[in-house]
Amino acid sequence: MSFLTPFFLLGALAIAGPILYHLIRQTTRERTLFSSLMFLMPSPPRISKRHRLEHILLLILRCLALLLLALGFARPFLTQTELNDPTAAQPKRIVVLVDRSASMRRDGMWAAAQERVDAVVRRAGPADHVSILTFDRQASPILTFDEWNQAAAGDRVALAMSRVRALTPGWGGTHLGNGLIGAAEALSESETKATPGPRQIFLVSDLQAGSRLDTLQAYEWPKGIELFLEPVKARTTSNAGIQLVAEAADSARAANAPIRVRVTNSPESKVEQFKLGWTRAGGPAEFVGAAIEAYVSPGQSRIFSVPLPSAGAVADRIVLRGDDDEFDNTVAVIPPAQQRANVLWLGNEAPEDSRQPLFFLRRAFSDSPRVAVQVTAKASGAALAAEDLQAANLIFISDVLAPGAAALVREQVTAGKVAVLVPKTPEAAATLGVLLGQEALRSEEAKPRTYAMFSEIDFGHPLFAAFNDPRFSDFTKIHIWHYRKFDAAAIPGARVVAKFDSGDPALIEVPLGKGRVFVLAAGWQPEDSQLAISSKFVPLMWSWLELGGGVSNAVTQFSVGDPVTAPAGVQATAVRLPDAATVPWVAGTAAFTQTTQPGIYEFAGGPRAVRFAVNLDANESRTAPLDAEELERLGVPVVRAAAAAATPVQKSQTMLQGMEAESRQKLWRCFIAATLAVLLVESALAGWTARRSVKTAEVSS
Amino acid sequence: MIAPASNPNLAAAKLIDPQALMSIRNLELRARAVVEGFWSGLHRSPYHGFSVEFTEYRQYTPGDDPRYLDWRVYGRSDRYFIKKYEDETNLRCHLLVDQSRSMEFGSRGYTKAQYASTLVATLAYFLHLQGDAVGLLTFNDKVREYMPARHRKGHLRQLMIALEQPTSGQATDLVAPIERITTLIRKRGLVALVSDFLAPLDRLEKNLIALTAGGHEMNVFHVLDPVELNLGLEQASLFEDFESNRRVYIDPAAAREEYMKKLEAHNEALRAICRRLGIGYHLLSTTQPLEMALFGFLQERMRRGRQFRRGGNPAGGAA
Repeated sequence: MSFLTPFFLLGALAIAGPILYHLIRQTTRERTLFSSLMFLMPSPPRISKRHRLEHILLLILRCLALLLLALGFARPFLTQTELNDPTAAQPKRIVVLVDRSASMRRDGMWAAAQERVDAVVRRAGPADHVSILTFDRQASPILTFDEWNQAAAGDRVALAMSRVRALTPGWGGTHLGNGLIGAAEALSESETKATPGPRQIFLVSDLQAGSRLDTLQAYEWPKGIELFLEPVKARTTSNAGIQLVAEAADSARAANAPIRVRVTNSPESKVEQFKLGWTRAGGPAEFVGAAIEAYVSPGQSRIFSVPLPSAGAVADRIVLRGDDDEFDNTVAVIPPAQQRANVLWLGNEAPEDSRQPLFFLRRAFSDSPRVAVQVTAKASGAALAAEDLQAANLIFISDVLAPGAAALVREQVTAGKVAVLVPKTPEAAATLGVLLGQEALRSEEAKPRTYAMFSEIDFGHPLFAAFNDPRFSDFTKIHIWHYRKFDAAAIPGARVVAKFDSGDPALIEVPLGKGRVFVLAAGWQPEDSQLAISSKFVPLMWSWLELGGGVSNAVTQFSVGDPVTAPAGVQATAVRLPDAATVPWVAGTAAFTQTTQPGIYEFAGGPRAVRFAVNLDANESRTAPLDAEELERLGVPVVRAAAAAATPVQKSQTMLQGMEAESRQKLWRCFIAATLAVLLVESALAGWTARRSVKTAEVSS
Repeated sequence: MIAPASNPNLAAAKLIDPQALMSIRNLELRARAVVEGFWSGLHRSPYHGFSVEFTEYRQYTPGDDPRYLDWRVYGRSDRYFIKKYEDETNLRCHLLVDQSRSMEFGSRGYTKAQYASTLVATLAYFLHLQGDAVGLLTFNDKVREYMPARHRKGHLRQLMIALEQPTSGQATDLVAPIERITTLIRKRGLVALVSDFLAPLDRLEKNLIALTAGGHEMNVFHVLDPVELNLGLEQASLFEDFESNRRVYIDPAAAREEYMKKLEAHNEALRAICRRLGIGYHLLSTTQPLEMALFGFLQERMRRGRQFRRGGNPAGGAA
């Protein structure tokens, strides 16, 4: 039994009062009538050892009443473990959840964590079931309940510890929510009628403030699973981290602009002065170029602009120096480079004729700091060189091509290019026939009575994915005056991506070999439609260019554990890891998931190598301790009694826990009720004794 | 002055033990027993005959009461003479008796109140035998009963009945009866105050001055129980005040010294007041025979009588 306000127990000392009173009454029971007390002063009560206590039962009752009152005021409560005593005999099921996030790489942390695991596992009784899970971004078992149970009783601890010792901390972020959910589910899944005992999770972690708990918000914590914290304390407190400041893909910053990094200093840090500079993986420890002095006061973060290394210098990471912990002091950087794309226009339009589609196309592909698009126009009748076609990422065709040229285009499309046919006349159907290898394709001019509109647009198609939002999906304001009518059913493999409101196909996609051919039934020039002057035009053109592999909006910065999607058009056969190892890569795979270490990765083996950088989760640098109340707020019942060294914060948390337990149990009521009962008995007994003594006195007188 | 104990006449007289005296239930009988024994003791007293006597003749002048004409002298001399006597009925004695509850204390089988009543009854009886008028005033925290001084049949009996009233009251007020008696008695007389004086003496002197200034002869009988005189109790106990019912735990052994000191100071203060005002002070333990008190009283009177005669200041004398 514990007490919330133990100082009230001092009130029990008041039982000295009744004892003294019972002693003194012995002396003052005699009464003497005296004429006047004017010359007499009261004498102090005289107590001597020879006085025997009288009315022992009354005395006991009075002392008991005071004792019960003091106990009631001390607000007693039974602690959780005491309450669980009845079930303590039953075998427990314990999940030891070990944090192996990057922050556990700090000096001495992993060894301390292993010791904690060892202690917890040794505490387990022979009938208990133990499982060990590790977590960073996700929980993963390293020892299941079955493996524990199958091992001989004497070998279990050794087995568990051998599994734990084989591990090293990873580079992932601390997704504590995922870890706890994984552990709770492991306990829930293993629930059988044979093991009705308590279910406990022992969390061995540095409990850093950067732990992610958001997944717990949507998770209903199973009843009866208790979380015991086994915090691992860091030896060092001065930790600063470095993160890249994310740049938007359409950032207006120049390609050679300085790289911006954020340096965050922990609140407990004793260091304020750091150095920033470029280094190279596997290279010398010295900075490449000049170092930047970075002053960040504890608990603050500042953004520094680090100029790109001078031309010719090889450096791919920015390093922070000056703090205690090295694990979060490096960011791998791929400096942004301007992408170059080529668009080939095959048609007979004059470039500066504002009534023609080429005029609008040129303006849609204006240069930005990140992308430079070269639009090359060739007359449809002119001879085409294979190099021209190979250089182009996207091919637009507006007029009937010469059969030779059409065959060349077909060849390139089959190899993987994207061609868009925007026929100005129905005759262009012949070119489509050549491209698709179908001679019999026909088309006819269609002129709606007033105008036509786009309808039934497939927003799931990558081309329209940018418009897949109610705010941007309104195409009804684009009126189409003329269009070419194609029979999509006549084209094998054709897919109608958009239709006109008349039901005729507006945009047809036909796969051809590795590439594809699009047919846009109406041009965007004012003669045909209002598409060129609508807000949809430029995004649509860029979507085509992206499909053609001309530009990639792919992010080049990732966190450890993030799945990396290969940019469109990448034809790689392997992924080169930062430690120079390679992992085979099959084109068409959704994403690369083995980003287990920070550094620079590369999709290799294709015509164009694409690099991407993987860095530490920014939250890993927030190494200040996490308040366990955060977990309680999310509904996780935390039991902190297991903490070996209780910090003042934990003490106050224990106090809060005690208050909760006390307010739930309300044992003080029982004590007050018992006090009243004892007082009633005492009053009755005292009354009876007094009456009896009066009677005796009367008889004797 | 002759000390009572050394007085051979008094010593020869058989003094009555107060304890035996108190066993007589009738107060008048008690008084009579004391007085008669006292008379026999004083039979040959040289102070016998101090009472009413002829003093002188004076020639009658118109306006004198013709009742006092001496017809024998007229028969012999044919002149009117008035015969002048010591005014024997002019001695008016007022007895002031404390009947507060503190007088109820007694350690010898009888209380201070009983002792005081017997004393007063003795004095009254004695004076009555001498033909003096005796009045009575009983008091506690206020005046209880007042009987004017008279000398007639049945008055003594009424007086005895008044004395037998039980004690009462919550306190002792010495001031009120003196103030009252001062206003009530106009003629000079004898006043005897019997009390245990267990009350503050602050205003007592002022009131006694008023009384003695009126020419009254004053006697104070301070009656105390032997236990009160020496706190002769052994067992520590809860002492309860007779009057206020206040209870205090007192260990007599520890409190005795302080008590004796205070009591002595109190008695000395009272004695000093009496000395200053020429009041006869008699401290009486209830174990003292009453004859001693009576003797002391008479001795005091005679001493005063001689003083007055010598000084020509007849305190209790003729008008």
